[in-house]
Amino acid sequence: MIEAPATTSYLSEHYADEAYATLSGYEAKGGYQGLEKALGMEPAAIREAVKSSGLRGRGGAGFVAGVKWGFMPEQSDAMKLIVCNGDESEPGSFKDRLIMERGPHQVLEGILIGAWAMGAERTYIYVRGEYALSADRLERAIQELRDKGKLGRDCSGKSGFSHDIIVHRGAGAYICGEETGLLESLEGKKGQPRSKPPFPAQYGAFGLPTTVNNVETFAHVPFILDRGVDWFRGFGTEKSPGTTLFGVSGHVERPGLFEKPLGTPLGELIELAGGVRGGRALKGVGPGGLSMPILPSSDLDVGMDEESLSARGSHLGTGGIMVMDETTCMVRVACVISYFFREESCGQCTQCREGTGWLHKLSRRIEGGRGQPGDLEVLGRLPKMMEAQTICAFSDAAAWPIQGLLRHFRDDFESHLPEKSCPFGEGFEL
Amino acid sequence: MRAETRERIEKLFDRYPEKRGALLPALYLAQAERGFVDREAAREVAELFDLAPVEVMEVLTFYNMFHTEPQGRHHVYVCTSLPCSLRGSRTLLRELGEHLGVGPGETTADGRISLDREECLGSCGTAPVLRVDGRYCENLDLDSARRIVDELE
Amino acid sequence: MPTIQIDGKEYEVEQGRTVLQAIDDLGLLMNGVEIPHYCWHPKLSIDGSCRLCQVEIEGVSKLQIACNTLVRDGMEIRTTTEAVRDAREGVMELLLVNHPLDCPICDQAGECKLQDYAFEYGAKHARTREPRRPAKKAIELGPTIVFDQERCILCRRCVRFCREVPRTGELGVFSRGEESRLEVFPGMKLDNPYSMNVADICPVGALTTKDFRFKVRVWFLDDVPSVCNGCSKGCNVWGSRSNNRLYRYLPRRNDAVNQTWICDTGRLSYKQFSEGRLSLPRIRGRETGYTEALAAAVRILSEAREAGAAVVGVASPFAANEDLFALRGLLSDLAAPDAVYTVPRGDSDDLLIQAEKAPNAAGARELGMRESAEGPGKAAVAIVLGHGFGPEAFEEVDALILIDTHESPLLQAAEVAVPSRSFAEKLGTFTNSARRVQRFQPMLEPRFEAWSEGEIVWRIGAGLGLDRFRSAYDPAAISRQIAEEFPAFAGISLESLDDAGRELG
Ligand SMILES: Cc1cc2nc3c(=O)[nH]c(=O)nc-3n(C[C@H](O)[C@H](O)[C@H](O)COP(=O)(O)O)c2cc1C
Ligand code: SF4
Ligand code: SF4
Ligand code: SF4
Ligand code: FES
Repeated sequence: MIEAPATTSYLSEHYADEAYATLSGYEAKGGYQGLEKALGMEPAAIREAVKSSGLRGRGGAGFVAGVKWGFMPEQSDAMKLIVCNGDESEPGSFKDRLIMERGPHQVLEGILIGAWAMGAERTYIYVRGEYALSADRLERAIQELRDKGKLGRDCSGKSGFSHDIIVHRGAGAYICGEETGLLESLEGKKGQPRSKPPFPAQYGAFGLPTTVNNVETFAHVPFILDRGVDWFRGFGTEKSPGTTLFGVSGHVERPGLFEKPLGTPLGELIELAGGVRGGRALKGVGPGGLSMPILPSSDLDVGMDEESLSARGSHLGTGGIMVMDETTCMVRVACVISYFFREESCGQCTQCREGTGWLHKLSRRIEGGRGQPGDLEVLGRLPKMMEAQTICAFSDAAAWPIQGLLRHFRDDFESHLPEKSCPFGEGFEL
Repeated sequence: MRAETRERIEKLFDRYPEKRGALLPALYLAQAERGFVDREAAREVAELFDLAPVEVMEVLTFYNMFHTEPQGRHHVYVCTSLPCSLRGSRTLLRELGEHLGVGPGETTADGRISLDREECLGSCGTAPVLRVDGRYCENLDLDSARRIVDELE
Repeated sequence: MPTIQIDGKEYEVEQGRTVLQAIDDLGLLMNGVEIPHYCWHPKLSIDGSCRLCQVEIEGVSKLQIACNTLVRDGMEIRTTTEAVRDAREGVMELLLVNHPLDCPICDQAGECKLQDYAFEYGAKHARTREPRRPAKKAIELGPTIVFDQERCILCRRCVRFCREVPRTGELGVFSRGEESRLEVFPGMKLDNPYSMNVADICPVGALTTKDFRFKVRVWFLDDVPSVCNGCSKGCNVWGSRSNNRLYRYLPRRNDAVNQTWICDTGRLSYKQFSEGRLSLPRIRGRETGYTEALAAAVRILSEAREAGAAVVGVASPFAANEDLFALRGLLSDLAAPDAVYTVPRGDSDDLLIQAEKAPNAAGARELGMRESAEGPGKAAVAIVLGHGFGPEAFEEVDALILIDTHESPLLQAAEVAVPSRSFAEKLGTFTNSARRVQRFQPMLEPRFEAWSEGEIVWRIGAGLGLDRFRSAYDPAAISRQIAEEFPAFAGISLESLDDAGRELG
């Protein structure tokens, strides 16, 4: 089981308590009161509350959850679905695992509130295949709800409210985190993202109106309903309210998760993790999971929210902070990153399928001391060819970190060229 | 495929608006029999789902967690994504490989262990990590990793 | 109907179409509006994955793919801007990363869209220095098709074809990302009655037919529009010829008949013109000259006429409308009953393949001929267009005048046998099972003296001194006469038909 976070706020306050993962333990700490309040409200009023809370999706794209809920058709002959995205596979990101393992009822309560607000009859929670414990914890929690009549026909003591929740396990493919890749996978197909439009709210899983939200997004919802919009807005920034579970990994003394308000300065989070290991100097930080441009050490003052990060040329993503100290060879980092994208591209789009492979081969060749004049020109040009032109944002995600590396750490690349071997002997091994 | 497996697969159908939704769980069940899904099993699953066999094979080969070839009795995966790499997981993978006498993607000669690398397992805060027969073993160093591997039958 | 602008020009298009479909509907695609594309095909579902067809749309920040973007009234589309050009160059450069640049030894050279577009958009940058991904060469996917994996650009046209058209679904893309590869299920084959179409729709040289592979360089070929005579569907084809020889059929698009497909049997039927032909006239089995044979036929018929003996005619569903009409005239002048014919039958499906294995059974029906299982019955003389009844149907016939393209068992029974042109060697029309009249024209010159069935009949009629055959044989004039005499053919003639054909009234 994953360790409880080192700093907590409302979301993870009771995560250290194993009983919190059970229905009785969760209820003992005030669980399901948000749902009770919600079931006493009109669905539209819930959607309005979630919208005015400003809660933004925690799956990486940061879309305002209440607005998305409003896209679902009010009237629909077809069954409406919720899909909870628990495919978390972004390197540097491990918060959803924590939530599913230690606070599964938070997620289920958020889902039930969403179900009432959107008139959805069924939810599929898509849990990545490797997260066996997460899936078990959710299954157990769902069974508890079923046993107590909180799921099914006229459930949770509300006549006219019917809902069921099904855990569906992925089978090892990062791209199934992309919401339409996920829908395809849920339909029993290869997880190859769909062209949009149509959007899931019109044509989702099995062609039914569907809303997809991240695990953490749902976990915040009960608190908003229970404690109120103003209380929620007391955390974080105007545009990015609430807390999140920042993951800090890599070259720090005490890697782990830290619940902090959005907008918390990057440097503060690294300090919470004990600072750069062994007193070494910081070289660069990936602030939002592997898909986002890596920042130089001079950016430690940046607030960890989308607005502040995009002003520095990066993004919040999933808030997975990856710290690299001075021993790090950024060409090796490029190799590791490009290998990930080469492995995980679904392979439909030309730019992504061919571009990810090429980026990796090129990085490997430069790293191996076989770089030639003109290689950096290609390395600069290639990501541009992969950007903004594909079915999903994966290709952009593959391009951005390389662009960031080249922008901030060009020296590392130049020092490998031409035909020189890596000067970072003590860095991590490839 | 055993009759019992078929029955369990058929029971999954009504969890989804269309039965194809049950394909991934069905393939897990098929794989549970022998650790991989061979041609014959893939054909049988295709038949149960009214699919062309090639569509089942597409799905099997798309996802990392399905195997179409025989595997070792135990799976040992080392995460080699960036956060784990920064904490030495690639060194760990190499040394484990040397210890077992196999490279990534290979199975020991006695059929005991299949070793491979994997992308991010969501254990970046407890890196490096092994996934051993579906179970996470975290916060490892070479010694603890070696001990875990040596204990596998 | 929405109005859209393409590069500044306005067009009215149908609601609900995508940009590329609308441009295709207008007949402008690659014919005035250049939008290179790989995965999109007019008769397959939209895939949207090659990303080559990107265009600029006013008011939309990113480029959009033309193949999967719906038209909107007032939409302004630009296909020639720098951003569009850059995107195309990007896709081409990336596609060439793993593609061998050995066009000179590739069988597709000359009709490869990768080669074409690379020439247009791919020349700017030097080639990658990375090694290409390993790939298998010349894999037999089934009895008809060979696959060169290294050339495949994963457009999935062939995959969608097998799933959506013959619905046999043999092909799939295995694995993912850079390792994606086209495959059949291990141990199974690509084997269906339409399999060879995948070679036509493959935009590169990855899929080739065993039949045509490495036979001839395509730039030596010229393509003649024609119609398949394999069954009563009348699929439209191109016959590719060189040096008075046909090398293949390719489907010719006709949305009212065969879309963009043909069946494998039809495709290989181009071979019929060179195999088993009746090349020399015969009198009682002895080879003779054309004039002698015709004279013998005239003599037999005039003797019968003088003796008041019964003459019967046998038509053929393989003959053209014009041939049949000439025969009909001769029979009526000789006071013979309506001609009979028989149609070979076989398998059919709901796609193209028809049970009637002849191109013009409907034409024979329309022109008042009578289908019969037994044959013409008892008579002194039978004038027979071959390719139908066997010798047993003529046991009660004294003298048989046979006009045929190929050798057959009837040859032994014939008093006189005259070789005729195959339809590939003449001009005419067929009426298909959906009552569509379609024109064909000579693709080949006959390699021996031979006239069309109509002309042979015509010359016999002239030899008999019959009025109607006094002028020179002219199929166009005959087709006009058909239109006059048969109301269903009103307005249809060899001259008025275009390559798409027209339905009978
Ligand atoms: C390549 C890619 C991978 C993604 N992976 C995940 C993921 O693992 N989990 C997740 O919740 N969202 C992921 N997303 C975002 C989803 O597409 C989607 O925006 C999200 O699930 C919506 O939920 P939210 O609005 O609550 O964040 C990914 C997006 C892309 C483009
Ligand atoms: S961008 Fe990459 S991952 Fe996304 S659909 Fe295209 S090929 Fe697949
Ligand atoms: S073989 Fe040809 S048609 Fe099929 S996917 Fe490859 S390039 Fe496309
Ligand atoms: S369906 Fe009939 S007409 Fe069409 S190609 Fe086949 S044989 Fe020829
Ligand atoms: S033709 Fe439009 S994406 Fe391929």
